[in-house]
Amino acid sequence: MEDLLDEIRKLVVELGDSNKIKKLVKEALARRIPLSRIIGESLRRGLEEVGRKYENGEYFLSELLYAASLMNDALQMLKLHSKDQEMETGEVIVLGTVRGDIHDIGKNVFKMLAQAAGFEVIDLGVDLEPEIFVEKLKETNARILGLSALLTTTRLEMKTVINRLNQAGIRNKVKVLIGGNAVTQEFAEEIGADAAALDAAEGVEICRRWVSS
Amino acid sequence: MGEFMMMTPRERIKAVINFKKPDVLPWIEISYDETIIKWLKEGLPADKVTVIEWGIAREGRLLLNWPHVRGFDPYSHFGCQYMLGCYVPIDIGPIPRFKRSILSENERYVDLRTETGVIARRIKSAEYTWYSMPMFLEFPVKDRKTWEDYKTRLDPEDPRRYPKDWHKDAYIEAFEQYQAANTVLTLTGFYGFGAQLMGIEDFSTLYYKDMELMIDMIQHWEYFTIETIRYAVETLKDRIDMIYWWEDMAEKHGPCISPKIFRELFLPHYKNITGFLNKNKVDRILVDSDGNINPVLDLLSEAGITGLWPLEVNAGVNAIDIRRKYDNKFFLIGNLDKRELVKGGEAMEKEIDSKVPILKGLGGYIPGIDHLIPVEFNYQRFKEYSDYLKRHLIY
Repeated sequence: MEDLLDEIRKLVVELGDSNKIKKLVKEALARRIPLSRIIGESLRRGLEEVGRKYENGEYFLSELLYAASLMNDALQMLKLHSKDQEMETGEVIVLGTVRGDIHDIGKNVFKMLAQAAGFEVIDLGVDLEPEIFVEKLKETNARILGLSALLTTTRLEMKTVINRLNQAGIRNKVKVLIGGNAVTQEFAEEIGADAAALDAAEGVEICRRWVSS
Repeated sequence: MGEFMMMTPRERIKAVINFKKPDVLPWIEISYDETIIKWLKEGLPADKVTVIEWGIAREGRLLLNWPHVRGFDPYSHFGCQYMLGCYVPIDIGPIPRFKRSILSENERYVDLRTETGVIARRIKSAEYTWYSMPMFLEFPVKDRKTWEDYKTRLDPEDPRRYPKDWHKDAYIEAFEQYQAANTVLTLTGFYGFGAQLMGIEDFSTLYYKDMELMIDMIQHWEYFTIETIRYAVETLKDRIDMIYWWEDMAEKHGPCISPKIFRELFLPHYKNITGFLNKNKVDRILVDSDGNINPVLDLLSEAGITGLWPLEVNAGVNAIDIRRKYDNKFFLIGNLDKRELVKGGEAMEKEIDSKVPILKGLGGYIPGIDHLIPVEFNYQRFKEYSDYLKRHLIY
């Protein structure tokens, strides 16, 4: 059992073939290995190693995106084969690009990695009115909000969203993570966000830390 | 006593990129046309700009359409040079073009198909966003079949790739006489081309998902590039001062494709193109890539690349470090942090003071912003920057 989980993990880390990973995951299901172990001890652990390699400069965006796609392929397959076992639902992240900005590449990469890391991501899309974030946070009780902006002209909208959270009385219930080419840690402090992510992988790592603390 | 002859702007640029000392250090910028349109509201005399029109970017090689300012040269207005002074007018875009059309439109958005086949969304009402990337809804190449279809538009033998008025001797003369800046041939690189046709996510992972397709795309792009430019390069030879090789292959963290993929798949094809150029006495070859290119500098050097722009500070790229580590392997342009320059005053002066005098002393460096002149750069502040930088250009 341990060997099989480790083989899956290694295939993710070594950027193996998606079909091979899915075949092994099916085998793990057939052996009645709990879903939580297949996901946690093989797929997610593998992706975490890939994330570390990315941070260390051993892997690059090409590898990070491919590993996330391997993970997501396997998760999709698990959903189809897990009628008798409940898929664990992770912490919710409400995510979107702020008003006036329709850039989504960085946001989509973050979403892919966050989902692969076990978060449930509610992607609201792009060019969003501040109220939409507030409403969704209230509706879902999500504890993390991810705001994206590419442009220096639109990043100021992040401040507007944070103001609306304050007005709605939910700012202290939500951690706000900002990302995008125009954001810096300095800017996060200036507008009262909890953190700025310089890239998608760092963003996921920050969310992980928040959840575990 | 001999007569003192001032160098022309072109001679200055040529001197620096060949690691020779010019009489005055040149200064190079590229502006978003949208920045100039904004400057009209900030003090730029309105009669300077005569026409603003829409059109696809140069030679159809970019996905984006944006407003073009005609009748005003911001470079001579401020006393700097345009990076792409006089360029060889070869069309390296898809021929025939896709029909540019609006696919849907509402109060807020317009979805359009560009002439390169991408479907993209723009916000209609927002000001000053045309210069940046739109939201891409669909890319023209998705798999082998769509690539084979697209490839038919990348035929180097198509006579429309050269201007109707192409006349060898006339172009030779024009390239010899031009002195306002450098003469350039623009190319699109292997990553830039692939990402434009498939999107960053899909092209970046193609090595792992369908390597055969990636190899075919890269091989065709090398063939297409060399055969398309062959006649111009063999005609103009070193009258072309610089190759401007657009790649945009990196993000803040590092290259979008790993050095391993670069070495295995890109490097041989880079070498074939640079080898062809070198054989024709063209060896000043500049790669344009935003983001952190540090991890691929060794490979770029091995590939025959000899120049770098814009050296984005935000992504951790430092021209002084590169000069010290790589000696004279690369001429360098840019690297002045746009985030500091737009602040004006002390922040702007500190940024210039900390880099330009050192790099001027080390040679092979032309100052400029570490990307295009951003829309956020106020007209008065840009004048202030211009005045301050000019003090550093004199030897």
